[in-house]
Amino acid sequence: MQIKRLISLTGIVCLSLSAYAQKKEFKFGKIALEEFNAKPFGQDSAAAAVKLFDVGECFFQYNDRTGFEYIFERHVRYKIINKNAYDLADFQIPLYKSSTGNVREDLIRMEAATYNLEAEKIVTTKLGKESKFTEEFNKNYQIKKYTLGNVKEGAIIEYKYAIRSPFTFQLKGWSFQGNVPTLYSEYNVKIPEYLIYKPSFNGYYKINQTKRETINAHYVAGLTSNAIYTQYVLENVPAMKSEPFITTMDDYITSIDFELMATNYPGDIYRNFTGTWPKIIGGLVEDENFGLFVKKNSVAKTLLPTIIKGETDTLKIANLIYNYVKSNVKWNENYSLYSSETNPKTILDKKTGSTADINLLMLMLLKEAKIDANPVLISTRSNGMHPGNPVISKFNSVILNANIGNKDIILDATDNDHFIGMTAYESLSHQGFYVDLKNKVGVWTTIEPTHRNEKIYNYNLTLDTENKLKGSMVQYYKGYGALSLRNRYRSNASETEFVKSLKKDKQGLEIDKYKINNLNDFDNLLSEELTVTIEDNVEEAGNLVYLNPLLYERTKENHFKHETRTFPVDFGYAMRETIRSTINFPAEYEIEKLPKGSAFKLPDNKGTFSIQFLTQDKVVLVTSIIEINKSVFSPEEYFDIKELFKIIVEKQAEQIVFKKKS
Amino acid sequence: MKKQIYLASLLVLGLISAKAQNIYDASKIPEQLRQDAVAVVRNEEQVYDYKNPGSGTIKYKTAITILSKAGDGYAEFAEVYDRFSNLYGIKAALYDANGKKVKDYKSSDFKDESLISSYTIFQDDRIKTLTFSSTTYPYTIEYSYTQDFNGILTLPSWRSLKGYHISTEKSSYTFQKTSGLNVRFLGSSDLKTDSTSVNGKTSYSWVAANAPAAIKEPLSTGLEQLATWVKIAPNQFEFDSSKGDLSSWNTIGAWISKLNENGDALPPVKKLLVQDLIKDAKTDKEKMQILYHHLQQNTRYVSVQLGIGGFKPILAEKVAQVNYGDCKALSNYMKALLKEAGIKSNLIVIGSGIPELNKSFSSMGQANHMILAVPSAKDTTFLECTSQNYPMGYIGYDNSDRNVLMVTENGGQLIRTPKYRSTDNYQVRKTSIQLAEDGLATVTIKSNYGSAQYEDNLSNLLSEPTEVRKIAVQSIGFADAELQQVKFEQTDKKVPVINEEISYKTRQLLSKGADKLFLTINQINRKETVPEKITNRKTNFSIPFDYADDDEIIYTLPKGLSLEFIPKDVKLTSEFGEYSASFSTQGNTIVYKRTQIMNAKVFPAEKYNEYVDFYKKIYQADKLKAVLTKI
Repeated sequence: MQIKRLISLTGIVCLSLSAYAQKKEFKFGKIALEEFNAKPFGQDSAAAAVKLFDVGECFFQYNDRTGFEYIFERHVRYKIINKNAYDLADFQIPLYKSSTGNVREDLIRMEAATYNLEAEKIVTTKLGKESKFTEEFNKNYQIKKYTLGNVKEGAIIEYKYAIRSPFTFQLKGWSFQGNVPTLYSEYNVKIPEYLIYKPSFNGYYKINQTKRETINAHYVAGLTSNAIYTQYVLENVPAMKSEPFITTMDDYITSIDFELMATNYPGDIYRNFTGTWPKIIGGLVEDENFGLFVKKNSVAKTLLPTIIKGETDTLKIANLIYNYVKSNVKWNENYSLYSSETNPKTILDKKTGSTADINLLMLMLLKEAKIDANPVLISTRSNGMHPGNPVISKFNSVILNANIGNKDIILDATDNDHFIGMTAYESLSHQGFYVDLKNKVGVWTTIEPTHRNEKIYNYNLTLDTENKLKGSMVQYYKGYGALSLRNRYRSNASETEFVKSLKKDKQGLEIDKYKINNLNDFDNLLSEELTVTIEDNVEEAGNLVYLNPLLYERTKENHFKHETRTFPVDFGYAMRETIRSTINFPAEYEIEKLPKGSAFKLPDNKGTFSIQFLTQDKVVLVTSIIEINKSVFSPEEYFDIKELFKIIVEKQAEQIVFKKKS
Repeated sequence: MKKQIYLASLLVLGLISAKAQNIYDASKIPEQLRQDAVAVVRNEEQVYDYKNPGSGTIKYKTAITILSKAGDGYAEFAEVYDRFSNLYGIKAALYDANGKKVKDYKSSDFKDESLISSYTIFQDDRIKTLTFSSTTYPYTIEYSYTQDFNGILTLPSWRSLKGYHISTEKSSYTFQKTSGLNVRFLGSSDLKTDSTSVNGKTSYSWVAANAPAAIKEPLSTGLEQLATWVKIAPNQFEFDSSKGDLSSWNTIGAWISKLNENGDALPPVKKLLVQDLIKDAKTDKEKMQILYHHLQQNTRYVSVQLGIGGFKPILAEKVAQVNYGDCKALSNYMKALLKEAGIKSNLIVIGSGIPELNKSFSSMGQANHMILAVPSAKDTTFLECTSQNYPMGYIGYDNSDRNVLMVTENGGQLIRTPKYRSTDNYQVRKTSIQLAEDGLATVTIKSNYGSAQYEDNLSNLLSEPTEVRKIAVQSIGFADAELQQVKFEQTDKKVPVINEEISYKTRQLLSKGADKLFLTINQINRKETVPEKITNRKTNFSIPFDYADDDEIIYTLPKGLSLEFIPKDVKLTSEFGEYSASFSTQGNTIVYKRTQIMNAKVFPAEKYNEYVDFYKKIYQADKLKAVLTKI
């Protein structure tokens, strides 16, 4: 196998698999005996099924009433190895429709069958009527559901269906990879000369374009047209396996999507729909749910003075507007690039809205207050990485960038507990497209958060001869650390319940007093003050007494234990954790010997760890600092983090040993 | 004069509207209802009109004040309907802290979606939902609806508390029935029923006022112990063109039996196959074994629930064609296979993983599953027909030790499924740990898991080896561990036992402290935390299941280390269970033995802190350390 390495936009390595497409025949119901011998391959040799082939075609026809529509045909065949793959025999086809139901996708053909090899003969079970169901899922989707009969270990199953779709803005995409290994996957796209689509490639493996030719096509009676026929093939594709700390598996599944770029009908001008950033930006500026929405400022005239109250400092004004929006409109958990209403006032009245509703409303107010702010289009983590080229449909949310005192500041008012400069974890997809609405220009910009996940634990504890620790724990939270604490605190029924949850899994911890500071004050540091009594954490053996001074916050487990890594490790943000533990010990005890301090640093300062043990009189001071300075690590760098955390776990586990004076 | 009247009526109107505006004023909620509460039911009214065996109407209205963000989950309207029930007249509104109406919701604000549980391909339920939203707290939501039922199996129940952390200012249920319709009631001990009869209708009503919020206590036996509640079951019913009698388990069984009449016929070719399969089998047990294996190898679980199909299995003939079905279809199909082999079996209606059938209160809705039984005077065999892996006769922990309804030609009969005792649900572990001079430890653990613990490990047995390896790597307690090998096996397919063998190397077995080395002796089965003590616990508690763990570790120490301290043996006995740990040494070996046996029983609330004490002693014994020194 020839291995070629391509570096894509964000540095994911594309491996190329075999590129030799053979002439193959795919006919429904025609099963070769040797297909029953198909076996999973390579790293998936124990897989529960093999996808023998998955072949699709997308072509157009002309409807006199509605214009061009496309037909999407798919034919897929699996060999079931064992029971774990029985789920493949339950198959769903979602069909999209407009909310009114007037424009809809239709399933125009569907056949499916199971084949078992019994005494050297193939026994066929066709999909029966009683095994077909239609679920009216909601106003936008109908789901066709099928379940196949006689599925046994060793069986072959296949589906073949066709969908007719009037939604030509995007064609059906194609995934070359699935949960089981794929022997052969092929997608044929035949596009009329009048339509121009932009393909976008995605994933870990390089897709081979095995054909690109002009063919004859007939769309309108009596007229021969041209169509561009492109074929994409991938063979022997390993199964997709999830890994922890990633954005979404969709970013890594090898797939292809098509978006309409232009139409070029005879007798009509060349209409370019997207394709260039200036066009996208121009469209956004004129969109009533985007640019025009931001311009509807009637509500600001009376509202703004009550928010600003005579404040003149730009940063403070921005802060006031930001606070007003986040405390008056609640996020409805929907991501959107466009506002759901055409007037910001309606959003204020509704008191709830999507990311676009909230952030564009804020943009309107900021602009009205003469603050230099603009939208940043993003694709959220679970929506997957934007391919980088001018495709608007791949964005699904919007946040803001304000330039105040020559500094760029990210604003996202979708969570009342956000700070200025912070965006939701889901929006941390590393880059966004900044749009200058006034000058109608745009540029890719990094949205790496200026905030990290930072926690500082300060312990001041006194050890008594009964081996109890008493004293205070003061804990500070910054950035995403503060966001997460506020979130946990608020999701509990009461402070009593929250304190109860704090004690969970912290054996021996009694919290005598608890206080949270600055819960609702974002200008000051969020902190917790605890007065504690700790049992069960000091042990005795003979005349030795030992304890771990980092107590509950030490990293007990390495989360990076897997032996291999295929995809980047994506934390979303950087982190820093400091534990300072001061232990005052009794006069009757003496330190036997302290563990050695040490410091570790990954290349390029990607991550560091240090731990120090100091003692004076009857006091031990231990300081441990962990820093992860990047939000994304490549699969190669995975082994650096793995090693770093291995050391952290080992060093943080070291105990202080006292000897009792006899 | 005229003017005065006008003024007076204006005043009255003004008063009414002021009152109407303020009924949801959050500041009027008494302090005792705020205690531990995230939300307060201000006023809930449920009225059910039971008209005849096949129809009824519910009118429902509620207002809930949400006190904090943690209560947002209660700010939701979500009602289920299907083709036997019509949901209409839905109204919803939002009020601010002062009880002033902020908005009325429109019908376009509601979502209407299909409701299909994750394990089901298709069912005809739908759900209408609306999520209320406010950025300021407290706020109050109010909604009401009417639902007509055309076909009745169950009647609405009522409980004074909607859940944990929600109190109730006022809640009422009025149940009205046409005379001649018979129902039965089951209620909490504090339930007070008011009943009146007017014009051929009898009405019953229950009210709860100022019920404080309940806290979920660990291992709790449930909210029913803390709330006032009533359940109502009809005697006669009509549903999807079927009629029946629910007045006893016997009559329910008779109805199900009738529904299945002649449903166990097999097509001739299947009959021949059965005869062929069992031709060499001598005993009934052997035949059962063969046919159960045939079922597991040839069918799969697919769930479709439509109307009466929720109770009536698909015909065995049909299953024989497609080889799939839900629990009812597969149980009934297995029954047909056994019948062909001359073995009589009965369908079993069972509540799986939910409270068992109530012996003295028969109603629909207490069961969620069907299995099969081959009755015998001394040794009834139960068959879980949806599992493709269980050995014959093993029915899983969720099905065990409970009252179930056996469907016979003479109606239903309550019987009991077998209990898996602590000695069945075992974990036996033999470990050898070789410690080398340079600190490298080689750990080899061989474990056997029985019954419920077999179930816990089943996914490991069935997964791809690469996945099993990933999980194993993650589960080893040492950050530096190098996994040598991991293997799960079921050597005898006839018994629910899985054997595991895992071995790995680590340099972190000993923890350092100055020039001493510490060895936590129990490296394989530690209790890492202890539940918290609770003052004034209100609910009884139950230990989730019976189990017995039996562990052994043999350490071999290198020459360069000497044992300076070894912990003393521990033996604990209590009504909750038994525990022992022993430490002994011989030459350069340390032998550790640990046993723990727990009894799943319900214990009174006041015993809880004793249970915590018992658990804490186990926790302490599990982390005892030996001290070693270098020589």
